[in-house]
Amino acid sequence: MFKDSLIIMRKELKRMFTDRRLLFMLVVLPLVMLPLMYSFMGKANKTRRNEINSYTSRIAVCSGEGGGEVSDLFFQSLELLNANIETTDLGELDSLKQRVIDKDLELLIVMPENLDGSILDNSVFDFSIFYNSTGDYSRFAFDQVDMAFAQVNDVIVRQRILASGMSEDLLIAYTVNKYLAPDETADLAEEGSVMGKLIGVMMPFFIVIYLFANSMKVGLDSVAGEKERGTLAILLVNQVSRLSIVLGKMISVMVAAIVGAVSSAIGLKIASRYLIEMTSESGASITEYTMGSMAIIQFAIVVIPLAILISSLVLLVSTFARNVKEGQGMIMPVYIAVMVMGVTTMQTGDIPPEWMRMTPVFNSLVVLKDIFMQSALWGNIFFTMATSLLVSAVLIFITLRMFNDERVLFRI
Amino acid sequence: MLRVEGLSKEFRNARGRSAKMVQAVKNLSFQCKPGEIYGLLGPNGAGKTTTLRCLSTLIKPTSGNVFIDQYNVLEHGQIFRSKIGFLTSDMKLDGYFTPDYMMDWFGKLNKMQTSEIDERKEKLFVDLKMTDFIHKKIDQLSTGMKQKTAVAISLIHDPDVIIFDEPTNGLDIVTSKAVTDFLVSRAGAGKIVIISTHNMTIAEKLCHRFGILVEGELKEEGTLSDIIEGSSWDNLEDVFFSYILPGGDHV
Repeated sequence: MFKDSLIIMRKELKRMFTDRRLLFMLVVLPLVMLPLMYSFMGKANKTRRNEINSYTSRIAVCSGEGGGEVSDLFFQSLELLNANIETTDLGELDSLKQRVIDKDLELLIVMPENLDGSILDNSVFDFSIFYNSTGDYSRFAFDQVDMAFAQVNDVIVRQRILASGMSEDLLIAYTVNKYLAPDETADLAEEGSVMGKLIGVMMPFFIVIYLFANSMKVGLDSVAGEKERGTLAILLVNQVSRLSIVLGKMISVMVAAIVGAVSSAIGLKIASRYLIEMTSESGASITEYTMGSMAIIQFAIVVIPLAILISSLVLLVSTFARNVKEGQGMIMPVYIAVMVMGVTTMQTGDIPPEWMRMTPVFNSLVVLKDIFMQSALWGNIFFTMATSLLVSAVLIFITLRMFNDERVLFRI
Repeated sequence: MLRVEGLSKEFRNARGRSAKMVQAVKNLSFQCKPGEIYGLLGPNGAGKTTTLRCLSTLIKPTSGNVFIDQYNVLEHGQIFRSKIGFLTSDMKLDGYFTPDYMMDWFGKLNKMQTSEIDERKEKLFVDLKMTDFIHKKIDQLSTGMKQKTAVAISLIHDPDVIIFDEPTNGLDIVTSKAVTDFLVSRAGAGKIVIISTHNMTIAEKLCHRFGILVEGELKEEGTLSDIIEGSSWDNLEDVFFSYILPGGDHV
């Protein structure tokens, strides 16, 4: 029986890997497209950040009465920013607000009245800073001004403390990691696991998506396409069991899915520099991360059954569908559900809820995350493998029943 | 020997409340001996293709059974399939491959050794005059070439029973003759050949015995002389039309 499955699989794979168009879609496109896409997104992101940082903000300041010396401190801090400062009086407040709405100004600062007086009697004074969150640079200017004013605030508070004859040490209740030895690091994470954590968050999502997308590329055509073209019947009248046909097709879909996922992973590795630049400030690269041989074995134990599960699911839909188009319509909600599972796992903390570990696909995603973070337990790995294989067996059984049901197989 | 015993097939014609069971084949029985060409005649919708699909194990009979020697279609599907070569016009070949590759592939699926496959291929390629196009992709072949390829593939394992549904449909006169000559030669080699057709000329030339199927029922069965002697007509075509257009409307 298994020999027949291999004969069927070899033909299916020959079809996939000698068809230049399919080969391009499955192998070449993810290899080239991902680095191109992420490098473009990374470059666009970097250009945008640079553009914002180099932008000269337009800020209007309405000074209140009795500004004096303290007011100058705030003006000096504004002058250190990359900004054109326009000073006006309160009479123009409404027209200035309108200019912020019209994006003619990034920021409008209204200084409090009697600033020096407030300092002298140690009372709290309040700035009104108006911005427009729909403006490209307004929120950025707000943050810059907020930081600059916070520094002036520190100076004023320090002066108040000193003026009242107290030590400025009163301002500091504690410090963190100030007295670590030079060769001592506070982050005690094992070598490689920091990058592993970053990869562990993203990679399981990408793996499941690529496995699913590649299974769909070939799996839907595998039975629904054959039904549509009328090429399935000639196979069914030969002396080969239905189980051999189902297994042969499932294995070929799985091989294609894994090859496509590997190609996508290589593309992702090439694109890693740009991708990590976009998602973190570390500037690190996936190339700094290496998986040990044990982690690779664990990875294979989880990913191969997951690929079998996904291929079996796609094959079931392909068998039930009248044609490829109908199959695409049927599989799309499942694809979206798997994407949601991937996103949910990305946002789950280090200790996922127990139900996630018990649910097929979810548990593969969680265990893959553990493997990348070098914290996977063998018990969880084998449980995940077992659930994936069990669900696959159920799906193959249902597909086999469909292959023996003429109402499903010939409802064209 | 092939025996069809009380074969019936029902289909549901729609879904939901309007669903009705349609009896496509009604209690059909006939048998064929080795060396015999049996022609199943009938208009479109008479139940010919359904009958042949039951014979090929593609669909299951609602009742009745089909036997080849001691094996029956309900219990021994896989062995049954090893004994038949089935071809119908709605069965297509994967156009991406060549006839040569597909012959090898189907040969392997039929548990044949490489040497057996090569021997069988050589014979079929010569007999069906296919040698010029065996290395071309099936997609690039003409209708006649594709039909010859399908015939060759269905017979790669040298089956005892050949079941062809409308084997000459859509073929030009030359290819049609090549296919019918080939079927005659197979019957001459002791194979059972069952064909369905509504072409009376071909049926008369080819078949040793006939069954006339109308609305799922076998109306007449026997040799050409049996059928004509039992009727008021002097040829097969008129007998055939007398069942489809009763009351002599066809004259």
